[in-house]
Amino acid sequence: VGFIKEQQFELPEDYDQPHLIEQLATDFSLEAGPAKVEKVAIYDTFDWRLYKKSLVLEGGGHRLRLRQLFDWEISHSLETKVQPVFVWDLPEGELRAYLEPVIEMRALLRLAQLQTNSTSYRVLNQAEKTVVRLTCEEVRLLDQDGVTLATYVRVKPVKGYSKYDKRLVKRLEGLGLSTVAADDVYFKALATAGKTSGDYSSKLEIQLTPAMGAAEATKVILRFLLGVIKVNEGYIKQDIDTEFLHDFRVAVRRTRAALTQIRAVFPEEPTQRFKTDFAYIGQFSNRLRDLDVYLLNEHSYRAMLPAPLDRDIEPLFELLRQKRSEAWQDVINGLNSERYVAIRQDWEMFLNEPPADAQTALNAGRPIIDLAQERIYKHYRRIVKFGQDISEDAEEKKLHALRIECKTLRYLIEFFASLFPAIEIALLTRQLKKLQDNLGEFNDLCVQQEYLLSLAAELPGEGPPARRTILAVGSLIGALDDKKQQVKGAFAQTFTDFVAPATQQLVKALFTCQRKRRPCDNPGFVQ
Amino acid sequence: VGKTATAVNLAYLAAQTGLVTLICDLDPQGSTTFYFRVKPKLKPKARGFTKGGKPVAQSIKGTDYENLDLLPADFTHRNLDLTFNQLKRRKHRLNNVFEPLGEEYDLIVLDCPAMINLVAENIFNAANYLLVPLIPTTLSVRTHRQLLSFLKEIRYDTDQVYTFFSMVDRRRKMHQDMMTVVLSDFDRVLQSVIPYASQVEQMGLYREPVPVLAPHSPAAKAYQALWDEIQREVFNEG
Repeated sequence: VGFIKEQQFELPEDYDQPHLIEQLATDFSLEAGPAKVEKVAIYDTFDWRLYKKSLVLEGGGHRLRLRQLFDWEISHSLETKVQPVFVWDLPEGELRAYLEPVIEMRALLRLAQLQTNSTSYRVLNQAEKTVVRLTCEEVRLLDQDGVTLATYVRVKPVKGYSKYDKRLVKRLEGLGLSTVAADDVYFKALATAGKTSGDYSSKLEIQLTPAMGAAEATKVILRFLLGVIKVNEGYIKQDIDTEFLHDFRVAVRRTRAALTQIRAVFPEEPTQRFKTDFAYIGQFSNRLRDLDVYLLNEHSYRAMLPAPLDRDIEPLFELLRQKRSEAWQDVINGLNSERYVAIRQDWEMFLNEPPADAQTALNAGRPIIDLAQERIYKHYRRIVKFGQDISEDAEEKKLHALRIECKTLRYLIEFFASLFPAIEIALLTRQLKKLQDNLGEFNDLCVQQEYLLSLAAELPGEGPPARRTILAVGSLIGALDDKKQQVKGAFAQTFTDFVAPATQQLVKALFTCQRKRRPCDNPGFVQ
Repeated sequence: VGKTATAVNLAYLAAQTGLVTLICDLDPQGSTTFYFRVKPKLKPKARGFTKGGKPVAQSIKGTDYENLDLLPADFTHRNLDLTFNQLKRRKHRLNNVFEPLGEEYDLIVLDCPAMINLVAENIFNAANYLLVPLIPTTLSVRTHRQLLSFLKEIRYDTDQVYTFFSMVDRRRKMHQDMMTVVLSDFDRVLQSVIPYASQVEQMGLYREPVPVLAPHSPAAKAYQALWDEIQREVFNEG
């Protein structure tokens, strides 16, 4: 039978809706239903995770509904009386299961609030039976003094009476109305509310050209990163979710990597000073990020525990939560400190300075493509050599150092991605990511194990319950250790894959000057 | 005994709960179809239900209510017994009709004619649950006993048979007495009782379900309670 599609007509602005109904009433027997008012809020995460998957999450009338953009059919919905924030607070069910992998740990923000006023009409046949439905709907934006966004007329067929909806559609077309093809009130609502969907992403979106001077290109990268730092800063203070701090810290780390790795593009003095400054900014937020990670892992930690101890772990999480709120205060103090404010100002001024006539640093005037190839290739070779030195019973320290090297390489590739063919860069990034995931997980497990050990001494209380808690923490450390051995076991193969001849060749082809990769307007480019 | 009224009101309430519901009028008299103001007519190829699929699906009509569709009655239903008898798998003809519809509908309500014949056997084979209205009178109780023993004879799982009291007049002592008998003699008797009420009779006049024509009446409340109990006890939900 299939689902019968609604047809939707958009009325021009200032269209006389009552008159439209009058006109239709001369040909059709219409019966008006009650007028309905519904408030609908549109939600997404700060980094537009739903929008990127073409999803629209709406809440109104105690229901949360998920639909695809450009589609009115609700794919999942659930009943809830509270405004949704985190996915784990939603009632269990299909909608939550669907959203979980999409929005993960990010908070849902209310982007816009709409009010829909609608009146439904039933078109009746001679037996006074409903044969088609007609809905007039006016959508207003609540936040901006109720600006009208759109007025729609919807024709909803009744199964088995297609003759009537065809007639009605024809009549509406005869009145000069046309169906809306590819439009969604979502866009109009967000635009009117002053929001641009997809305007933030934690990914680097930088466009460089090969011939750009190295100092100038580096400033383009650093200015983008400063933008990320500034955007997230304010939200960290509001403590909405953990990822504002995370993105902030990644931008700080990338800034440091750029200052260190893109060598000799700026004069020595400010470079050293800013390196120290950004190290300081990274430091004052280390503790908070660590604690955020523990608390985000709460669920998986609990799952690792043997059943008889699963309640006894509670004091650990209480302690972690308490420490987290202290650490958050430290970060706030850091962000409000005179030193931080001064660093930010100096840095912004430095980045916005016009390029000096005489470039003092060695590499400042070199085409960025040269420097990019040089740096990435050298770094890759270093990782290949370094990794081969790590034997089967890999030492923790060496794995840790290799992890840092890989991270730096990743940053370099990301900084300069726009200079190279996208497909090859994606391929290489995928290979590198596998290795990074392995090393990253190993490092996380080491750090977590050590931290839990150090916490054991701080856990409050005496007597049997406290002892059981210690037991639970011990058991957790054991479980983490098992996992650590597993991850370590997978290192050798992961690394071998990363240095496979095919990858090595790809890197050579992309980042050495032996062959011309793409038309290049760079005079210094050696063929 | 209130079969059609029950089928119509429960199907309406189910649709209101959000279940995509189909009500099928299998009675040649076509009362259900009349209540929904639809012509009692199937597509010619759907008549006799010799096969399911497209002709049946195309005969379905939307009703005045969201989520509620109707498969209208047809005058040829009076010969359904004879038609089925001439076909293979004659006791399972209706399965062919309803199985393909199960994908589209959350709930299919069958309004059945009051006869124990081949059509009834087809219905028993096609339905997951049987809901039997019972007027608390000696005669009705006797008929119900007959039905149950017939079901046992054809090895139908009587655990799927539920009963409830219909058209009850609590002022009459006989109704009270018979209800006590039924509750002690039969299993799976639902607690909700549908009273004898003028609103139920008015359904034919206004051609609307009771919850629409008299939303605050005791009868409307009784049907709502029955539907709630069915969801809880029969479908094991909520």
